[in-house]
Amino acid sequence: MTDSASSAMDTRPASRLSSRSSLRLFLLSNEFGLLVLIIVFAALFHGLANGFLSPFNLFALGRNAAVNILIGLSMMTVLATGGLNLAIGAMGVAAAMACGWLIEGAGLAWPLAVLGGLALGAGLGVTNGWMVVKTGLHSFIITLATMSIFFGAMIFLSQGESYRALPAVFSDLGRARVFTFVSPMFLIAVGTALVLSVLYRYTVQGREMLAAGARPEAAEMSGVRVERTVIACHMLSGLLAALAALLLTARNGAAIPSMAGQLGQDWLLPAFLGPVLGGTLLQGGKVSVLGTCLGAFLVTMLTSGLLLMQVGAFWVQSFLGILLLLAVMIDKGRRSYLRRRNLA
Amino acid sequence: MPSLTRFVRTDWFGPLLACIVAIAIIQSVSPTFLSLANIQVLLLALAVNALIAFSQMIIIAIGQMNLSVGAIGGLAAIAFAGAMEVWGLPAPLAALFGLIIGLACGALNGLLVRISGMSAFVITLATLSIYKGVNLGITEAQAFYGVPQAVKAFGSAVIAGPVPWLVAPTALVAVWLWFMLRRQPVGRFILAVGGNEHAAELSGVSIARTVVTAHAISGLLAALAGILLVARLGVGQPSIGDDWLILSFAAPVIGGAVLSGGSVSVAATLLGVVIVAIITQALVLFSIDPYLTQVILGGLILAAVSFNRLRESRFIGRFGRA
Amino acid sequence: MNGEAIFEARDIVKTFPGVKALGGVGLSLMPGSIHALLGENGAGKSTLIKVVTGVHRPTSGELRLDGRSVDFGNPRDAIAAGIGVVHQERNLIPRFSVAENIHFESFGANRFKPIDYRRLNESAAEWLRMLDLDIDPAMSVTELSTARMQLVEIAKALSQKSRVLLLDEPTASLTSGETDTLFEILRRLRDNGTSLVFVSHKLEEVEALCDRVTVLRDGQNACESQSAEGLTRKDYVRLMIGRAESGSGWRKRDTRAAPQVLGLDDVASGLGHSGVGLSVRAGEIVGLYGLVGAGRTELARVILGQEPVTQGTVRIDGEAVRVADVSEAIHRYRLGYVSEDRKGEGLILQHSVLANAGVPIWRKLAGRFGFLSDATVRAAVLPYLTRLEVKTPSLDQTTANLSGGNQQKISVAKWLAAGVRLLIVDEPTVGIDIKTKAYLHDLLRELADGGTAILLISSDMPEIVALADRIVVMDAFRTKGSIENDGDYTTMSEKIMTRIQDRTPSGTSSGIGETARCA
Ligand SMILES: Nc1ncnc2c1ncn2[C@@H]1O[C@H](COP(=O)(O)OP(=O)(O)O)[C@@H](O)[C@H]1O
Ligand SMILES: [Mg+2]
Repeated sequence: MTDSASSAMDTRPASRLSSRSSLRLFLLSNEFGLLVLIIVFAALFHGLANGFLSPFNLFALGRNAAVNILIGLSMMTVLATGGLNLAIGAMGVAAAMACGWLIEGAGLAWPLAVLGGLALGAGLGVTNGWMVVKTGLHSFIITLATMSIFFGAMIFLSQGESYRALPAVFSDLGRARVFTFVSPMFLIAVGTALVLSVLYRYTVQGREMLAAGARPEAAEMSGVRVERTVIACHMLSGLLAALAALLLTARNGAAIPSMAGQLGQDWLLPAFLGPVLGGTLLQGGKVSVLGTCLGAFLVTMLTSGLLLMQVGAFWVQSFLGILLLLAVMIDKGRRSYLRRRNLA
Repeated sequence: MPSLTRFVRTDWFGPLLACIVAIAIIQSVSPTFLSLANIQVLLLALAVNALIAFSQMIIIAIGQMNLSVGAIGGLAAIAFAGAMEVWGLPAPLAALFGLIIGLACGALNGLLVRISGMSAFVITLATLSIYKGVNLGITEAQAFYGVPQAVKAFGSAVIAGPVPWLVAPTALVAVWLWFMLRRQPVGRFILAVGGNEHAAELSGVSIARTVVTAHAISGLLAALAGILLVARLGVGQPSIGDDWLILSFAAPVIGGAVLSGGSVSVAATLLGVVIVAIITQALVLFSIDPYLTQVILGGLILAAVSFNRLRESRFIGRFGRA
Repeated sequence: MNGEAIFEARDIVKTFPGVKALGGVGLSLMPGSIHALLGENGAGKSTLIKVVTGVHRPTSGELRLDGRSVDFGNPRDAIAAGIGVVHQERNLIPRFSVAENIHFESFGANRFKPIDYRRLNESAAEWLRMLDLDIDPAMSVTELSTARMQLVEIAKALSQKSRVLLLDEPTASLTSGETDTLFEILRRLRDNGTSLVFVSHKLEEVEALCDRVTVLRDGQNACESQSAEGLTRKDYVRLMIGRAESGSGWRKRDTRAAPQVLGLDDVASGLGHSGVGLSVRAGEIVGLYGLVGAGRTELARVILGQEPVTQGTVRIDGEAVRVADVSEAIHRYRLGYVSEDRKGEGLILQHSVLANAGVPIWRKLAGRFGFLSDATVRAAVLPYLTRLEVKTPSLDQTTANLSGGNQQKISVAKWLAAGVRLLIVDEPTVGIDIKTKAYLHDLLRELADGGTAILLISSDMPEIVALADRIVVMDAFRTKGSIENDGDYTTMSEKIMTRIQDRTPSGTSSGIGETARCA
């Protein structure tokens, strides 16, 4: 440490040192690991299961991955604050149902209805964030409660009925293909991820979110408006959850109250799998947009591959749980290695 | 007078007051509320829900959370029913089998939390889907209907008046938990780890052993809840436990449990369960849309945690000035 | 040296990620002796104690008890071997009773045997009585003051009847009466053959109590386990800081003509301040001296808008203002605050040097829609990091991995980069090595020469006397007037202490008068 320390001025030796070690850091990173796993499993499934790399399967994969990526990103934005959001599924479904009602019940044009759905998602997120900030309670218990409230209210208002008479744009979006095997839904998810990358890397707002998440006291004393920033993170989470649910609506061709399971709980596992596999810290202050996308993609791919190999859908759930455990354990090992080497 | 203030300051005084007020209001509007039949329905719900709440409470005591309470309960329930239907085991052995499965699942949670050093949230989310997947993988989402008559009878029999047999195990568990958390070193260790893990460790408490113990107890209680539910329903449904998550947090939180750990109360949690049961029951009596139950449960949790927060900060404020 | 050492630590090395806290330290304890363990903040005293008591495993080195090598895997092993400790931080189980906390260890014997609280209370009461403590053993420890918690922990350590007892700064929060009682007991224990280790910053206490001494400096032995006979306060200081108490570097600076940057007039706050008067001119260093708990850090929070002003006026550049929040204080009024809690509040340890140094100016540097690149931030902060000679392999290095001195330089550099007009520095050199400390002192003077107004909060009287142009004394959330500094430690410390002990409220009015004059 101190013996090899050079002053901030000597940029030349410092940069040489950092480019060498940054290659090693990249090879040790979650993102690289995930990339390797994706390639390995793609090859494996290609060999074992017929038609894994067929255009149709790739298209279906992209469609499912799009939803999982957005769900993962939605959780990631709140993980950045050191909190979490159990209400993602409930918020998403509520937003999609609102969109359905705006079209079928209120007779709005679909673009307005979609905007309405997204706005509701963002609004519910703001509600969460506001309560977290004002009560000073952990977001776990707040979002546990609002998950129940949002979902209950949605079911009460919709009486559990689906909206199935949606305009053709929705099912068109679900069915359309670009270059024979890419779903436009996948492109939407990737585009969203790019926007988020720019947010965290190149804007004050994104940087402040990370600073506030890593150490709220220090961020506050350095001029960051922590409360506002935390609310913004929750708002972003709601917005992304709404987008995920709208894409799911497009895929299903209908807005269905149960599309995220009881209370929206079915989204919890994918929501954590993506970010945790991708190296987002649960303590907050560090996110990896690329990692979350790759993680979500890997999860989607494994699910699809296992189903193609006729592993029962129920066992796949167990398998994903084990995957999450493995990811956690490997991450622990990696981190302690980095710490011993003083690399992180 | 001092005995009165001590009474007021106990952790169960607030919930008790809320309970009495709620009962009084509902009774005045709907006189059938305290009918024997209704009390029996309430007690049946209490028997299972209290165990679910205790299962979460013991984990809140160490400052963690357990998302897999429902999954463990469901797995134990189908293990119990399946062992009787498929293997033809006698009910007591089948129940023991279910309990052991719950205990093992809980202990595994604790071990994984300890080894990984990760937040219990993520670990129990992972095991939740593992246990649930195993449950569905075995049953293929089909219920076990071959529950013996004796078990069904136990589920509906009454000891006396409106008091069903089903509350007996729950009452025993409540007394045991109360005794353990108040009087036995094991219980004190659990609370100490939740209150100040570092201090507990410095005083020679094995954190690993305590955390695993708490999770094992949690698994055991969840399993017992699942088994009692099979007895009450008369079928081993794989969906048992799916809706326990909110329920498991609501009662301890209404009972004033401190989520950061170190302070839970068996009596207050029990009263929390009663409050939830009363309100759910009242919704039925007033024929309010059952869909609203979720909204009200969520609202109750929010109200309770905010209230606890206020109480705790007043407490800290006083302590800070001292 | 008469007799055999009961306990020995040899060549103890302890490294934490990025920090070498102990680099080959020795300590040898005799039975029936009180051993002083001295050193500046951050010298490694607490770390050594934690190694000895099984909290930390040493990276290398050997512990020997009764001449045999021992290995403590955890605190339990050390307790079982008869080594008791009262750590610097409080370690009580909240909401548990005093008696239960005192006897907590004894529960381990049988995990299921019901606890007999009556017996527990009776036995705890005895230990409390021994410390002249009038505390109900059945009372919850959460209701105790910090000083009393400390005493309960001492009672707890005594109840274990340890052969070796280590006390890490036990008197830091005790009154002199409580300290006297404690010393009596420690002497009694010593006479009964217990080997005691005593850590304190109050050298008078060390001189009164200890017969042997070990001094640590930057994780090394400056002297190892020698007799305290013949050693004086001067020798201790020389051993602790590596040289004699040197000239303070104070120089006379005249800023009377400069305009006032910050003025507080009869300010009261929601935190309990009242009658606070204070003025800092451009280029002036005003020292805010007071004992721990006098309300100085809290006053900084009030100035920064984190806590509301309930009465009186705050002037910035002569204009009465109401600072809404910290963000406004920084971005609009250009105030800066170097926190005493460097790791909790001063820096985001998990983030890089670049990110930390840039936080306050991100908003200023950002283009439309808040766009901002690393290169922009780098260009803005690098000159200041270079000027402060921050030692880091790269700007992307995580700040957690830097030494305390470098961390502190970053937390100062970020305010230089932000171009603040008033910098509030709170205990800037606690836990910082001597060289960096002198460097930071020079830097603060240089900053003031450049026109920055500086409000220096410090409990280190020599530091205040070395740096300040004027010293404002604070006690019990009130200011007690200001004193022109003449740089002479002896006379200044006397004047300051007289102000603090002056319990009449007149101090307040003189404080206000002073502000009015310079406003
Ligand atoms: N758990 C820890 N992790 C990292 N660094 C530590 C830890 N404990 C102490 N240190 C560092 O070790 C050095 C010595 O600290 P300490 O033993 O507390 O000093 P003292 O008690 O003499 O004031 C300091 O630089 C401190 O920052
Ligand atoms: Mg110390």
